[in-house]
Amino acid sequence: MLALRARGLAKTYSGAFGRGAHQALRGVDLDVSEGAAFGLIGPNGAGKTTFVKAILGLVRPSAGEATLLGGDPGDPRRRARVGYLPERLQFAPALDARSVLRSVARLKRLHRPEAAVAQRLDELGLAGAASRRVGTLSKGMRQRLGLACALLGSPDLLVLDEPTDGLDPLARVEVRNLLARELARGATLFLNSHLLSETERVCTRIGILAAGRIVREGALESLREGSSRWAVRFDGGALPVPLAAAGFAEGERPGCFTFEGEPPALNAALDRARAAGALLVELTREAKDLEVVLRDAIGASP
Amino acid sequence: MIVLAIARDLLAEARSRRWVLAFLGGATLLLAAVAFGLRFEVVDGALAATRLFGGDLKSDVRSVDVALRPLFVATSYLVFYCGLVFGVVATADFAPALLAPGRIEPLLALPVRRWQVLAGTFLGVEALVLAAALYGGAGVALLLWLKTGVANAGPLVAAASAAVAFAPIYAAMLTAALGVRSAALSGGAGLLLLVAGVVAGNRAAVAELFQPGASRSVFLGVTSLLPRLSALAKVAAAASESRPVPGGPLLALVAGTLAFALAVLALGVDRFERRDF
Repeated sequence: MLALRARGLAKTYSGAFGRGAHQALRGVDLDVSEGAAFGLIGPNGAGKTTFVKAILGLVRPSAGEATLLGGDPGDPRRRARVGYLPERLQFAPALDARSVLRSVARLKRLHRPEAAVAQRLDELGLAGAASRRVGTLSKGMRQRLGLACALLGSPDLLVLDEPTDGLDPLARVEVRNLLARELARGATLFLNSHLLSETERVCTRIGILAAGRIVREGALESLREGSSRWAVRFDGGALPVPLAAAGFAEGERPGCFTFEGEPPALNAALDRARAAGALLVELTREAKDLEVVLRDAIGASP
Repeated sequence: MIVLAIARDLLAEARSRRWVLAFLGGATLLLAAVAFGLRFEVVDGALAATRLFGGDLKSDVRSVDVALRPLFVATSYLVFYCGLVFGVVATADFAPALLAPGRIEPLLALPVRRWQVLAGTFLGVEALVLAAALYGGAGVALLLWLKTGVANAGPLVAAASAAVAFAPIYAAMLTAALGVRSAALSGGAGLLLLVAGVVAGNRAAVAELFQPGASRSVFLGVTSLLPRLSALAKVAAAASESRPVPGGPLLALVAGTLAFALAVLALGVDRFERRDF
C-alpha cells in the first residue's frame, strides 16, 4: 500500500496578467510506501515545498495526479490521517499553546482531545508553557508547538517541512527520537529538509528533486554506494617514503591514507606501494555522504 | 460541526486580542461617563409639558415616552451605525491574518473543507459583532431607562439590525481579503459597501439628483442590486418610536440583505476553492 503516489505531477505558477510563468514541478513520479521514512532533498527553488503542497491538496496541479493514502488529497477523510508541519509556521499570536492544540484536536475530531493535547504538550516539552501566548514563545518553542499539532491524533502519515528548523541540538535529538517512535508504531514519514545530516539520520529512502524533477530516488544505502574514495591502512612500522608518489594522501592517523580512483587505478597504486615494501592492513570503500550524493545528482541532471 | 468549531476558535482569538478588549472597555467607559456625567433627567414623571406665561409652546402636553422619541430614535441610529463601524474596524484583519502564509496551510491540511473555513470565519465574526452591538445597545437602553424611567427596546432592535446589516458587509470584506490579503483593503471594502448600502436605502430620493434618462436609470439599476442598509436602520428607529413595522416588507428587507451576503460569500468560496496556498 502506498502512502503517497505522484504521477506526472506538474505545477506552473502564472505571473501577473499571464506573464512570467514559473514551472515549479515538471512531471514528478514518486511512490512512498506505508511505513517508510522518506526524505525529499534538493537545492533551493527545486520545487520541494510545491510538491508537498500539491500532495496535500493545498496547490492544484497543472497536470498529473497525486494520491494521498490511496485517495484524493482533497478528501477530508484522507487528511484526517495526515499530520503536517509547514516550513513557515504561524499561529494566532493571542492564543495560548494549549488553545492552539485544542483547536487542532477539535478540527481533527479526536475522541479524547484533552488527553491527546496533554500527551503532546508533555512529549514536546511544552507542558510548562501551555498557558503562554504563542506570540511570546521562542522560535524553537513555536516549532515544537507545530510538531505537537502535526502529531496530534497519531496520524498515519507525517509530512514535515523542516521539522528541526530553529531547534537547538538537544531538541533535535529529542525530535529524532520522537520521529523514531512514530516510525516504530507504523507511521509513514515524509521529510522535506535542507539539513542533510538530519535527513540521513532519520530517513531510509531519499528522493532528490532538482528543477522540478526527481533526478534520483532510492534507498539511502544504495545512493551512498559507488564512491571512488578509499580508506587504506598500511602497517605503520615499516612505511616507505614514496606512498604519496603512488597516489595516496596521508590521513589523520599514522598509517592511514586515502585514495581517489577507480579499482584498476587503486590496484596499480597498491602494487607500487607493496613493491616499495608497504604492508597493506585494511582497505575500505568510503560511503558517500548525502551532500556528495546530492551534488553528484544535481551535477548529472540535465 | 466543523463550521461552529472554526467560529468558536475565531471568537476565542477575538477574546484574547487586547485591542478588541480595549475597544469594548472603551465603549463601557463611554457609557459610564455618559451615565454619571450627563445632566439628563425627566422631572415631571409620566407627563411632560412646557408653558411660557401661561401659554402653550409649540408642543402640547405629551407623555414622557412620546416626548423622548427623538432621543430614542437618535440613540437607535447611533447604536446601528456605531455597531457597523465597530464591526468593520475590529474585524478588518481577521481574514487577512487567517490567510497568512504559514497559518492557512496547516488549517487546510486538517480534515476540513475550504467552504467550512470561510463559513466558520463568517459566522464567528457575525457572532462577535452581534455580541458587541447587543452589549452597546443594552448599555444604552439601560442608561436611558435609568435616566428617564422609560424602558425602550429601540437600541436592542438597532443592535440586531446592525448584525443583519453587517452580514453583507463582512461577506464583502472576506471576499476582498481573498483577492488581496490586506486588512486596509478588507476594511475599505466594508466601509464602501456601508456607504453604498445607505445610498441604496435612500435610492428614490437620491435618484432625484440625477437627470431623468440614462444616468438615473443606471443609478437605479445599480442600486437595485445593493442591500438597503439604511432601511434596516429605519426599522430600528421605527421600533424605538413604537411605530408599527409591517411584517412583509421587513421580511423582504432582511431576506434581501441576507441573500446579498450569501451571494457575495458564494463568490468568495468559489475564489477560495480555486486558490493555491
